[in-house]
Amino acid sequence: MTNNIYEDLSLILRRSRRIFIIVQLAFVLLILILWKIQIIDYKKYWGLSEANRLREISIPAQRGIITDRNGKILAKNVASFKVSLIRENCSDLKLSCIRIAELLDLELDVLNQRIEKYKTLPEFHPIVIKDNLNSEEVAIIESRKLELPELLLQLEPKRNYPQAAFASHVLGYVQELSLSEINLEKYKEKKLGDLVGKTGIEKRYDARLSGKDGLLIETVDSLGRSKERIQNRPPISGENIELTLDFEVQQKCEELLDGKEGAIVVLDPRNGEVLAMASYPDYDPNRFINRFTPDEWLDLVNSTEYPLENRATRGLYSPGSTFKPAMLLAALDSKTITEKTSFFCSGFIKIYGNNFYCWNKGGHGSVDIYESIQNSCNVYFYQLGKILKIETISEYAQKLGFGIITGIDLPEEKSGIVPDPDWKMRVSNTPWYPGETISVSIGQGPFLVTPLQLSVYTSHIANRGKKSVHPHLLLKLSGPRPGSLDINESSFEKVVEGMWRAVNKGGTAWAAHINGMEICGKTGSTQVVSRETAERLAKKNIVVKTHSWFTGFAPRKDPAMVVTVLVEYGGTGGTTAAPIAKEIFKFCEHLQ
Amino acid sequence: MITRTQLSYLDWGLIVLLILNTLIGIAAIYSSSHYLDGNYAFKQFIWLLVSLVAIFVLISFDYNILVTYSIYLYIACLFLLVLTLMFGNLIAGAKSWIKFSFFQIQPSEITKIALILLLARIFSEFKAKSVRIIQVFASTTVIFIPFFIVALQPDLGTATSYLFILAGALLLAGINKKVLILFLVAAVVFGSLGWAFFLKDYQRVRVTAFLFPKEDPLGVGYHITQSKIAIGSGGLLGKGYLRGTQSQLRFLPARHTDFIFSVIGEEFGFIGVVAVLMIYFLLLAGIFKSVGKSRDRAGVYIIFMVAVMLSSQFLINILMTIGFFPVAGIPLPFISYGGSSLLTNSLAIGLILNIKMRRFVNL
Repeated sequence: MTNNIYEDLSLILRRSRRIFIIVQLAFVLLILILWKIQIIDYKKYWGLSEANRLREISIPAQRGIITDRNGKILAKNVASFKVSLIRENCSDLKLSCIRIAELLDLELDVLNQRIEKYKTLPEFHPIVIKDNLNSEEVAIIESRKLELPELLLQLEPKRNYPQAAFASHVLGYVQELSLSEINLEKYKEKKLGDLVGKTGIEKRYDARLSGKDGLLIETVDSLGRSKERIQNRPPISGENIELTLDFEVQQKCEELLDGKEGAIVVLDPRNGEVLAMASYPDYDPNRFINRFTPDEWLDLVNSTEYPLENRATRGLYSPGSTFKPAMLLAALDSKTITEKTSFFCSGFIKIYGNNFYCWNKGGHGSVDIYESIQNSCNVYFYQLGKILKIETISEYAQKLGFGIITGIDLPEEKSGIVPDPDWKMRVSNTPWYPGETISVSIGQGPFLVTPLQLSVYTSHIANRGKKSVHPHLLLKLSGPRPGSLDINESSFEKVVEGMWRAVNKGGTAWAAHINGMEICGKTGSTQVVSRETAERLAKKNIVVKTHSWFTGFAPRKDPAMVVTVLVEYGGTGGTTAAPIAKEIFKFCEHLQ
Repeated sequence: MITRTQLSYLDWGLIVLLILNTLIGIAAIYSSSHYLDGNYAFKQFIWLLVSLVAIFVLISFDYNILVTYSIYLYIACLFLLVLTLMFGNLIAGAKSWIKFSFFQIQPSEITKIALILLLARIFSEFKAKSVRIIQVFASTTVIFIPFFIVALQPDLGTATSYLFILAGALLLAGINKKVLILFLVAAVVFGSLGWAFFLKDYQRVRVTAFLFPKEDPLGVGYHITQSKIAIGSGGLLGKGYLRGTQSQLRFLPARHTDFIFSVIGEEFGFIGVVAVLMIYFLLLAGIFKSVGKSRDRAGVYIIFMVAVMLSSQFLINILMTIGFFPVAGIPLPFISYGGSSLLTNSLAIGLILNIKMRRFVNL
């Protein structure tokens, strides 16, 4: 077997053959062992495998309770029954579905869709097929426990909002995690079928509120009876959350808004606490916790009145005349005018070849800085706008809190728009026209703010710029340290005097006047359509109402609350928003 | 590099058997993981394609070049192992992986190829009837350095498989009684020292659970029991593909890797298991038959060490699933899920093809 050119390897090849024989013997031995296990002991192992089923049950954690600042419960949990299907225990899944659909009065299609949706889960994993069971359904399932080992009846804490629609936009609601969300990083601890906060406080503080689900793993027999617990990790309840909201103030605000579209914000300017935040129309969050109401849900989402939108943080409106104090502040602080500066109002003024009108066609005559606010004279501010540059106006608008989010602890807040030449170039690639500055001077044009931003702005005035305001809803919040606004305090005092006169000296906000209460405020009426359109419509006897604003604070010295009211299509600020604000100030008098 | 004549000596039979076994593995991987995230079956298929390409790259270099430079390959592997130990990813309690953006490798697997080549170099110079102490010492040192590093990860399963490569080489070189006694003494001394100081608690538990499974029914012994129940309840014909009640299961922690055989046993029964064993046996027989088909001693050593490596891993893995060996974390070559393992075993087959192609001198 060897020749000269190859070396003699016969010895090691012989050794290799011996080892191969050992391997062959091992294979034979292996087959014999498998014969013993799979053929001879088959019955024993088959029995063990039948008896040997594992069940994994997630024990839902109690979601944290949400209360107002005085401990009034706004969101809690109530016990509720849910029933789940364990596919592993079905002898025939299709047949089971048909029986169960009939038994629990479910639509077979809906049931099948749901099972299809969760088909990637292991077979032993319970799929929730109906929740919010009534006692009759619980009895039916309980009595057929032995016939239907595939059903698992469980108690779960269900989210409940005892005050129904109360503060619904602030609280938000919980809903089942959708398939598209389950892969997001922030939900990596969650399982399919878990309920998570979808908006509002429920979403913003979901991690704190949700706690950690417990896990029970047990072996069960073929009838689903528990045999042995392998793992039992108890659930950890979520944190309770105390809000800055004052139940009674909030309730009053909601009553006052009832039937209108709009928003009310009540802030404490001293610390940024939100005492009330109402938005209308509202909705009852209790209706969404149920896992199975897609149609009703879509109705709400698609409603033209946008009941799900929180108008206080997401509604964008022109500030209108409520912006005039900011204009005066900018002019005084930048030394563009002095406290002696007056302008003449004849009812209109021609600037850059166009006529700009005052709301008072008769004109205000000679108007000083205080009267400009008191009577909300447009012509005064047109002229102020002409001598102030748009850059100065937008700089002060931003300093006072417009154009950026307030940073409130609610998701998806809108930042609004403070228009300036850069902004216009960015969005429309056209240069700024001087005439646009004139519109911005009275809070019109592409200028957009949220009611909350307006409240923050008024809080800054109330604080005379000495500290910035960070609105928040969590009572115990260590937010950023308030800094000052870098605007001269004496300029603020003059603006405050104007706002005081607007309410107390027969100004445009007279409707908010209360004897014995030192309220300072400013109304606004925002044109929703252009003047030309409005005049054209007026000829046809169609009156398009303006959005109605009021924003103000009390008392004048050491202000303790800021009230902002917006009513969509409410007419002028003085006729609709100011009287509502008056009610709120009156109701809150004790808070001073 | 490679001539047309050499290519005509390519052993297509081994390649076909390699692919066949891997495909059986992919089917079983799918069954045991299709309801999990991760697309394991598809990933394994991609690794099969990568491995086949790697084989064709490997056979274009004469294996003697590889043997000559094996010491550098070995040092590079040690470097990688140390790197893994320092910066590797912790998966299932062991630092065995280096993670790249979309895949990860296990250097301890690739190291096997370097060990085989280096041992072949040490032993190929040696023509006496039985092994000399100096070679025993050299080869033992070569094996034990990576053995300790890998055992520190801690991955005792892979570390143990290095010992089988060493054992294969020594068996071929011829062990006399003196060496055998030396090894037995060393094994007892190091074994007891290791038990006392080196093994992690969970590894001690595994060994005791293997020896006394009933003592610990829900611990590690539990997995062995569950694996036996899975295989046993498969019976003659099995429960059918994707229908194993135990293996669509969470009883087994590593059902697509170390316990893949339990899945096959449950779903395809005794008939299926014997068929898989037969196909596997054809592969191993093909390798053992190749041992003589080499032009030199180094080639014989390489093929034989590959044969021993694959046979021992295969047998140990199956013995583990039926409770005849401690749960050691040794995968079933070509069948268990694992890219690095598949690539390494494929390269090992590639070495055999390489040697067989060049078995005629002066071609």
